[in-house]
Order: sequence, then structure tokens, then C-alpha cells
Amino acid sequence: MRKGASFQQDFLIRGGDFSGAGRVSCEIKDLLKELGLSSQVVRRVAIAAYEAEMNVIMYAREARFDLVITPQKVRIIVEDRGPGIENVDLAMQEGYSTATEEMRELGFGAGMGLPNIKKNSDRFRIISEPDRGTRLEMTILTNGQGLK
Amino acid sequence: MTENPPPSLHVSAEKCIGCVHCLTSCPTKAIRIKDGKARIIGELCIDCGECIRFCPHDAIEAHTTSFSDLSAFKYKVAIPATVLYGQFDNATLPSEILFALRRVGFDYVYELSTICELNNAAIEKYLNDHRKPRPLIASTCPVVVRLIQRRYPSLCDLIAPIEPPREIAAKILRTTLPRALKISPAEIGIIHITPCPAKMVSINRPATMARSYLNGAISIRDIYGPILQALRQSQEDTIMCHLFPEILFSGMGLGTALSGGETRGLKNHRTVAVSGVRDTIRVLDQVESGLLKDVDLLECMVCPDGCVGGPLAVENRFLAKSRILRLVSAMGERTVINQSDMNLLYHEDFLSFHHPVMPVGTPPLDADRARAIQKARKRNKLFMRLPHKDCGACGAPDCRTLAEDVVRGLADLADCPFMKKEET
Repeated sequence: MRKGASFQQDFLIRGGDFSGAGRVSCEIKDLLKELGLSSQVVRRVAIAAYEAEMNVIMYAREARFDLVITPQKVRIIVEDRGPGIENVDLAMQEGYSTATEEMRELGFGAGMGLPNIKKNSDRFRIISEPDRGTRLEMTILTNGQGLK
Repeated sequence: MTENPPPSLHVSAEKCIGCVHCLTSCPTKAIRIKDGKARIIGELCIDCGECIRFCPHDAIEAHTTSFSDLSAFKYKVAIPATVLYGQFDNATLPSEILFALRRVGFDYVYELSTICELNNAAIEKYLNDHRKPRPLIASTCPVVVRLIQRRYPSLCDLIAPIEPPREIAAKILRTTLPRALKISPAEIGIIHITPCPAKMVSINRPATMARSYLNGAISIRDIYGPILQALRQSQEDTIMCHLFPEILFSGMGLGTALSGGETRGLKNHRTVAVSGVRDTIRVLDQVESGLLKDVDLLECMVCPDGCVGGPLAVENRFLAKSRILRLVSAMGERTVINQSDMNLLYHEDFLSFHHPVMPVGTPPLDADRARAIQKARKRNKLFMRLPHKDCGACGAPDCRTLAEDVVRGLADLADCPFMKKEET
């Protein structure tokens, strides 16, 4: 990879900021469009980033989104300070959710968040430490159509 | 940037004083002030007409059909948007307005509310026949189609492929009139009467067909005076209309002039109706992030409250809305479209798009991806140096856009008055 051809930006997200939900993922999405990435790539990043953003807003105290874009890939690392996930394998199952009744009433917490992020990423890694936080790494390649 | 056709909106160099009202009102940041005058960037403009509303000097002009253009046709047909019925006082019946249009100079006036109902029925059938994908997005507002093509290319496939009522009506007339009148199709001019400039663009450069069935669009603003005059001069028409209300109207169809009008009839589907250009953008952003999948039909109208809020309408939209609602309740929920007629047309593909809606890419920061990434970085750095006041004095709508214009080579950082001060 040629040096210099990478873009990095940090975003901060506060837990509980429901009114600001979607702001960061939208900003990331608009940026990818400006860079001329294909609409499939933009859509996959948009969905994955939105889900990650919602997870922070719903469960964590705050998080840093570290976005890196190179000609080959888009990588987002989300590091939050929060309760962490006790059983990551369980959380990766579709339909599993620890959302409160209140969140569900708002239409969130269907238990699709993490599986959806994984589905829309080409590379996905998650490490969580209970009572400390969760680190999520998702990479989407810019050339392929991605995995179905 | 030069290859693109001119936008439907243009700036009157005489009236424009180069203030910043239109700059900040534009939802797609398509306006810059250069050499003291506003300029519209055609490839970014979606023809929403927000700038028309916000310009205090009436300097933004919409390119619509003028009366003199009509003389090119031997037989002139008007298809007025149902919004027109809300533009005159409560005592004026829709049928009187249609009569008045004839007096203004049209040979034939086609009532659109029944076709609006037909369009609704076709959308319902399409929703029933196609369980996926969701949400489908109605195509009636041409600005929404343009917005999706340019800003949400991945959502093009979600546009419900049913032509809007004005095109269906024109297609019906194109099919039947030449035979009925025994004149050549070229001699028939079919003109839409419109509350917005975007209809004209959808006629000149349709997104879903090779050629529109309409020949042009006259703005309500332009035709309002002549209609008013005709209404005053035709006492006997008024009496006739009151005695013989023979024209068939659809209450359901009339309601489509208002936000929620297209979704109101869909009793067995989950629907969402949005109006206003900024709210439309917000909701489309959510759809692009994978939300609203449990919604069957998303109706977006970029004008506030729907087409009644069109920038080329005359009456304030609250009054117009109240009058239309009155008409809707007077007509009732009674439907006028025969279901089997609709089914027949539907299966003949008479009501659907000829072509799918295709994305229209907006130019990236650079065609080369590595260079685009570098430019994005540079843009962010420049942006950090700017004062973040978004005053518009540089000619760009906000500091971020100025930074972007600079990396695109379209502006100079020194255009910012605050930067100059800093440097000296």
C-alpha cells in the first residue's frame, strides 16, 4: 500500500444519546460516497456502523469510533467503556438481546445488532471484558461485493 | 460539470443581490455565490425549490412551460394537479375550476383525482404481489426520485415501479385522443398544471422512461391569474356546475395532494408518510442504514405537507390543505376505480415503469481512490482551520463545503474573510 493514501478520523459517541442516534454512521456514509466507493460497500458500512453506534448508545457509557479508510478497505474499531458482554457467543446469535422493555418499545433490541454487523463485514472481531468494555473491529473490503 | 443539462431552476442576474438566503436553504448544497450572484450547480440540484421559498428577492426562476409555447399544438389538453382545487375560495367547486381552464384556452381538461386513485390501487397490488424488498418507496414526487438517484443510489431498487398519476393520465390520453379526434399525435399538446418546478424536469428528463407522455408543465403561479379571471367572467358555467356536477371525482384521489394521501388507502399495509425535504433526507438516511424494513410503503414528499406546499402554488398551504380536506370529506371514501379495469391495465404493464430507476453518481473528490482519500484528509485539515461560522460570506454554504471546494480546485481558502484577517 502506498504511504499517505489512508484516511483516519475519530468519532465519539455517548451512551444514552438516543436523539443523536445515527449521526456518526451517517457522517461515515457520506464520507465514503465522496470517496467514490460503490453503493454496495457504502450500504454495508452504513448498516454495520449504524448497528455498532446503536449498541454503544443502548448499552455503553461512551465509545470511540476509529475509522480508517485506505483504497483497499474500510476499517472501524469501536472501543467502548461499558458493561461489556458476558457471553459473546450468545450475543452473536440472531434474536438474542439483553435490551430492556423500554428500549424494545422504542423499536430497538431485536437481537440482530452483532450478527448484522458480522454479516455486513468481510472481517469481524470482537473482544469483551465484563465491567470494562467491548472492542469491535470490522473491516469491509472496497473491491468485492462482500460475502452474502 | 459542463456536460450536464441545465437545471430547471435558474437565477435572475437582475434580481439576485448575492445574499446568502438560498445558500443555506439548499438541502444538497448546490448553490454558490460567485462574483456577487448565486449560481446553481446542475448536477447537485434536485429541483426541490427550497431556494424559491427562501429568496427574498424572487430571483430564483423556475423553467416551466409558458402560454405562448402552447400555440405549437392544435389540440391543447390540461391535466391539473389536484392541488389546484385548493387554490381558490371554498365556494369555487373543482368542476368550475376545470371549466375555467377551458376558457383559459385548453380544448380539453382531464381530471386527475381518479387517476391518483388508480395509481394507489396499482401500488397496493404491487405490494401484495411483491413481499420483498422493504420498504418500497413511492415515486410520485420526482424530487424524491432524483434525490435517491444521486444521494442514495443503493435505494434505487426500492422505488415502487408504478408511474405517477400525471404520467398515467397522459399515457391514457396519448392512447385514446388521436383515435377519438382523428388528428395526429404530434398535434396534441398535453400539459400538466403543477405546483412545483420538478415536474418540468421529470418531463424533460424522465428517470423511468425514454420520453414523457407530457409535453410540458405550467406552474399554478403562472395560470392562477387567468383562471381567476375566467372564473369571474363565467357566471353561467358556475350555475351549470352547481346544477350538473357531472364530473367524476375521487375523494381518495383528491387526498393525494396532501402528505399521507398515498398511504391512506392502504389499509392492509404498514405505511409511513414523510413530508419536507429535510425530513425526507433524514428518513432516507435511516433506510440506507437498514432501518424501516418492517414498513411496506414509504411515501416521501419533499414539500411541506405534500404537494399543497409546492413552491409554485399560490395559496398558503394551510388554507389549501383545509379546502382539500373539505373536498375529501365531501366526496367520502367512495372509490370510483373499477378493480377489474385496474387489474387489466396492471397486467398489461400500462401502469408501470418502462425502465428501472438508475443511480446517477455525484462526482467523488477524485476519480482516483488514493487521491480522493488524500483530498478528504486535506479537506478535514482545512476545515479545522476555518472559523466554523458557516456565514456564507465566502460564497459556499458552510465552512465544510468551502474546504471541499478548495480541495476540488473550485475555490480559494482566501475566499473566507476570516482567513484573510488571520493571515495579515
